[in-house]
Amino acid sequence: MSEDNSPSTLLSRRHFLWNSGGGLGAIALAWMLDRDNARAADAGTASSRKPHFQAKAKRVVQIFCAGGVSHLETFDYKPHLEKMHGKSMEGRGENLGFFGQPGNLMKSVYDFRQHGKSGAWVSSLLPKLAGCVDDLCFIHSMFAKSNNHTPAAFQMNTGFTLNGFPCMGAWLSYGLGTDNENLPAFVVLPDPRGMPAGGSINWTSGFLPANHQGVAFRTAVAEPISDLRTPEGISPEARSADMDLLTSMNRDFAAANPGDGAFAARLRSYELAARMQSSIPEATNFDSEPEHIKKLYGIDEPANKGFSRNCLMARRLLERGVRFVQIINGGSFGTPRINWDGHENMKENHDNQAATMDQPVAALIQDLKQRGMFDDTLFIWSTEFGRCPVTQGVNSPGRDHHPAAFTCFLAGAGVKAGHHHGSSDDIGYSIATDQVNIPDFHATILHLLGLDHKKLTFYHNGIDRRLTNVEGEIVKGILS
Amino acid sequence: MPLRTDGRPANVSALPAPAGVTVDFARDIKPIFADNCVKCHGAEKQKGGLRLDNKASAFQGGDEGKVLVAGKSAESPLVHLVAGLEEDKIMPPKGERLTAAQVGLLRAWIDQGAAWPDDGAPVAAVRSDHWSLQPLKAPAVPGNAPDAIDAFIRARLAKDGLALSPEADRATLIRRLSFDLIGLPPSPEEVDAFVNDTSPGAYASVVDRLLASPHYGERWGRHWLDVARYTESQGFEYDQLRDNAWHFRDYVIRSFNSDKPYNRFMQEQVAGDVIEPVTSEGVVATSLLVCGPWDQAGNAQSNATQRAITREDELEDMLGVVGQSFLGLTVNCARCHAHKYDPIPHEEYYRMKSVFEGVKHGERPIAGADEKKAHNERRAALEKEIAAAGERLSRIEAEGAKIAAAQIKPPAAPPGPAPFLSWNFTASGAAGELHGGAAIANGRLQLPKDGAFFQSPPLTKDIREKTLEAWVSLATNEQGGGAAISIQSGGGKVFDAIVFAERQPGKWMAGSDNSRRTADLDIPPEPGAPGTLIHMAVVYRADNSVVLYRNGEPLGKPYTPGSPLETFAAGDAHILLGLRHSGAAKGAWLKGEIRQTSLYDRALGDAEVAASYRAAGFAIPREAILAALTPEQRAEHEKAVAEKEKSQAALAALPPVSGAVSYVGTRNNPAPTRRLIRGEVTSPDEVVTPGGLSAIADLNPDFGLPADAPEAERRKKFAAWLSDPKNPLPARVMANRVWHLHFGQGIVSTPNDFGIAGAKPTHPELLDWLAAKFIESDWSIKSLHRLIVNSATYRQSSVSKVAATAIDAGNTLLWRYAPRRLEAEAIRDAMLAVSGQLNPQAGGPGFRAFDAIGFPANVYAIADKQGPEFNRRTVYRMNVNSGKDPLLDTFDCPDPSVKTPSRGVTTTPLQALGLMNNSFVQRQANHLAERAMKAAGNESVKAIQLVYRLALGRTLSAEEAARAAAAAKDRALKSVCWALLNSSEFVYLR
Repeated sequence: MSEDNSPSTLLSRRHFLWNSGGGLGAIALAWMLDRDNARAADAGTASSRKPHFQAKAKRVVQIFCAGGVSHLETFDYKPHLEKMHGKSMEGRGENLGFFGQPGNLMKSVYDFRQHGKSGAWVSSLLPKLAGCVDDLCFIHSMFAKSNNHTPAAFQMNTGFTLNGFPCMGAWLSYGLGTDNENLPAFVVLPDPRGMPAGGSINWTSGFLPANHQGVAFRTAVAEPISDLRTPEGISPEARSADMDLLTSMNRDFAAANPGDGAFAARLRSYELAARMQSSIPEATNFDSEPEHIKKLYGIDEPANKGFSRNCLMARRLLERGVRFVQIINGGSFGTPRINWDGHENMKENHDNQAATMDQPVAALIQDLKQRGMFDDTLFIWSTEFGRCPVTQGVNSPGRDHHPAAFTCFLAGAGVKAGHHHGSSDDIGYSIATDQVNIPDFHATILHLLGLDHKKLTFYHNGIDRRLTNVEGEIVKGILS
Repeated sequence: MPLRTDGRPANVSALPAPAGVTVDFARDIKPIFADNCVKCHGAEKQKGGLRLDNKASAFQGGDEGKVLVAGKSAESPLVHLVAGLEEDKIMPPKGERLTAAQVGLLRAWIDQGAAWPDDGAPVAAVRSDHWSLQPLKAPAVPGNAPDAIDAFIRARLAKDGLALSPEADRATLIRRLSFDLIGLPPSPEEVDAFVNDTSPGAYASVVDRLLASPHYGERWGRHWLDVARYTESQGFEYDQLRDNAWHFRDYVIRSFNSDKPYNRFMQEQVAGDVIEPVTSEGVVATSLLVCGPWDQAGNAQSNATQRAITREDELEDMLGVVGQSFLGLTVNCARCHAHKYDPIPHEEYYRMKSVFEGVKHGERPIAGADEKKAHNERRAALEKEIAAAGERLSRIEAEGAKIAAAQIKPPAAPPGPAPFLSWNFTASGAAGELHGGAAIANGRLQLPKDGAFFQSPPLTKDIREKTLEAWVSLATNEQGGGAAISIQSGGGKVFDAIVFAERQPGKWMAGSDNSRRTADLDIPPEPGAPGTLIHMAVVYRADNSVVLYRNGEPLGKPYTPGSPLETFAAGDAHILLGLRHSGAAKGAWLKGEIRQTSLYDRALGDAEVAASYRAAGFAIPREAILAALTPEQRAEHEKAVAEKEKSQAALAALPPVSGAVSYVGTRNNPAPTRRLIRGEVTSPDEVVTPGGLSAIADLNPDFGLPADAPEAERRKKFAAWLSDPKNPLPARVMANRVWHLHFGQGIVSTPNDFGIAGAKPTHPELLDWLAAKFIESDWSIKSLHRLIVNSATYRQSSVSKVAATAIDAGNTLLWRYAPRRLEAEAIRDAMLAVSGQLNPQAGGPGFRAFDAIGFPANVYAIADKQGPEFNRRTVYRMNVNSGKDPLLDTFDCPDPSVKTPSRGVTTTPLQALGLMNNSFVQRQANHLAERAMKAAGNESVKAIQLVYRLALGRTLSAEEAARAAAAAKDRALKSVCWALLNSSEFVYLR
């Protein structure tokens, strides 16, 4: 809920307020705030809106692995690379790395083995996720525009490589609203180890109204969002009496200014705020979770560095009607590195990162499945780019950034299970078949949620902006 | 392989086959173009920059390149598009498609060579009849109303049977005016004064008072900073702070406060660093071009293509801010292809890009050339005065010395320090070799010409700290580079020397190999006339510091060079007299005479150098010289001394050129700009020259500059083109911005987009009338404010009316003043104002309400910092990309990297939580309560009246008073204050 106070939106509420003579019953308010499906006109609202067409997916959870997960060390098995180990990559194309010190080709630092009925090749790095492959839909032909972390992360999250564009969660909040106004429509769970590069820019609403911005929940401290709790020293009784005084002021003011729904909306915003004060602590409290669930996620395992708590919290938030939960795995800078940016040593780096990610993500998939939520939840596992088939520097065990081929997977509502789409070439350097650009990826995600990426637009400085800019083709091959 | 226009492979097997006939253009092809194509690709419209109504244009192609490839129909994009090979781009897009037979004819025509009889027509320019691109015409004011704005508004309202609302009450009006013009609430005294002032000019004088307030610029400057996407950190991965970006914020605030003519304001922001006379103000103004985000990592990476893309992104951002802010045109949309809606061909994006191609991100000194020139002129004048006085003194003293020498014998001075080695040419010569015409005569070493020097045998001891000393007379002061004495080793690879005028004309220095131990001292040129015997010494101390002496007095300040003290090894090192160092090619020989010279193997102190000077006995004591002067000479001497001292004092007091740097960007002269096909850096096409937009009627887009013109010329020409009185856009766009900010809704509701996809003006004649008045007032923004806020339209009540709502619910015709939520900054500032905590300190570095953590990337942890520094107005909050304040954020404070001509207004539970619980709000509520209790002498009833008057600018009703009194009694006055700061009435303007 919320208001765009442009006169055009004040209009639709005027009749009601006028006719009701300033009386603001709850039912009437619900009517007033439950807007029609005209998204652009009602850009400021948060209440649930119908999609463009019926779709299976009702909500989304996105894992974003910061730093660039190596496709060659995870899901993209390259036997030919083993044969080519130590040889030059000459003739295969320009080095796309960030640091420009290409060495020779290096085979995967992990062994691969086939898993599940679908026989998917997964490396020994991710034993738990390997057990989930029959539920996953891999895209091995992902292609990003930038070889530079932040622009590439921006592209994965917002469709553009620049600052200031709304991220996918903001677009979904704008497009679909929320099913539970007592919680934000779009929640971000940053890694407890640190913020990703670019910080809150990653979940900005850009030029969309501010209420579509991702709300970052802090999981390492007692208060998940700022200003949630009544300040110390103010008793519940005193706060309640203060709220009564405020309500009387606001009600008088709304009554004295009939025809302006914004004033009624402010009253309503305080009601919702009061409810959030209990709904957010309830959603973020694990006391009611049984032991076996906590164990499934491994929330007491130090190895996953608190990331498991975020995965469990994501499930609780999704259950309670949050439209989009983004879980970030990895921060920005740190020594040793706290993300997947294995420039120096792939094994050392990916071993550490996988220890945080593998079990909790696999647990989230299993948990959603066992609750029947996998059928109407879209699960996204993503990273900003892959890693180069050659080493970074001669005889180094590290790999540089590589945007020209990498792997992501989708799962859950509307996508094929145990499926592989597209492929990279024999050394994982370029796309061999069915290239999927980021706008294609986004168009497909919107489609799975019942939104036409060409119709989900917002006018800003001369352009009806889209998540997919002027590109985007739905990847039909992965739709179930 | 034939490619589609989007670069993907074209499925040419799906094309109809070429017709098996000989094709005639006039008979077979021209009608196809005429019937199907030229409506959009002809004289009237040139969609995609393409024309098919004349030969030259057709073969040139459109924005995405050529469409006809003679002889190769399967590779001709025109054929792909008419045949429907690209689903999204079938031509013609509407109406009947071409038949297979027609496509076959086109293919045959192309395959047969695409013969098109020459029609002589040149490639045609863009034309548009879009309203905003047409010249301004001051329209007639409708009716006889005294106030033109009201006349326009009333005339339009009347068409729908509507009328203006009555004037709002006075307390409401002054609150509206105060927030609107200065962003702060009126004080209770100001409200009372206005409410009680029934004189006819009362309202206008409040307007004048507010416009004269320094807070006005803080309010309206903030609006401009939204448009300018002003940020104080880099954004992207590292998001590092821009410590010196604030100069631009202050420039904007100053410009609004001084009512700088808007045309000047525009010119400064695109070319203030190159338009004469260049001022630091002008240099700072150009921050506009670069005050948006910058990808530091992207610019530093190794991949050249990716770096080039990063640079193109920067330029698009620059063109975006210039095009949208001043012209209201989204020029940036033409980077990859012709503008989708507006008549901006692809090529013109690149012509305009060429204007800014030399502008890069970064900091540089902001001192204008004016400041530097004035400084240098003043400095040169003072130095000349000092030298002239010095010459007079030398002349007088030389005369005095002659007399004195004849009159007296200098008294014996105590002996000086003992040197390690000494050469005295009055004695029987000296150990060493004479070279190149050097000779010993008249008791001195004679160094008559280049090439002449004296070299000692190798030294017998390692020399490290040391003193070099020489009695020298110069043949002329117009020489440079020679040494009186030099100690060298390695055959001249390493040396320290007393050198004359190598780096600064007329000035002594301590010379060294590659100047590694040399400093350019801030000293006067040698004042002695040629032939004067001068005592020079340089002391090299063990702590690596170096100090020069002239005639026993320190010359300039001691300094410590970056390069350490050298050891001159026994057996290798030796002394040179006259020559700076062995192996020097030219300009290394001193012309003059050397009377005596010494090397000390230790650093002499000040007193020792002075003693050595006196002990030599070459100098006649100053007292003796002065005593020998005639009274006239003495008077002249005193006068010269006074003048010299005065000039020296002035020189010492001369303020340095401002060393301040700011984020104004750096400049270089770039290579000629090429159009990039589809905007791809890997597809450069033809070279373009700098230019403006051709679609603006009556305005010449051509700057007459070559493609390699100096970048300063490009921006100067652009600034002139932009502010040309014939350019109708800037006045329209700015008048609309001002209107938009006063009413919450523009006459054009898309203030950054006056193009075809932008909103149509609701009152086109009024907009042109305002724009014309704006120019007429010499582009005075304050005049625009006066016109607008003095109108009855602005002074209307905000009360809604059922009948009017039924007709114009959006109030686009302005039958009332629509209530407006205050912006985030105004809410925060108002809380500080009413609590009495507002710190009015203006300008300078902003306050940092966060902790910046980390390197190389900055992460900003928002912190509730307390103290007066943090109680400054919000415009002075350091505005970083990833460190947004959650409270301001929920009140729609925009992402600083987004060009924001119009702020969103949302009402959310997070916003409510912020006002309810944020510690800043709690604190201001408490301060407000304390302030009121103190002012009311702890009388609760009076205090309650005061908090209402402070927070809402009005008195309270009996019912409100009772409610508040009950709350204050039950809890405390701060409860009432908290509720007031949370109230709708507080955060809304009516």
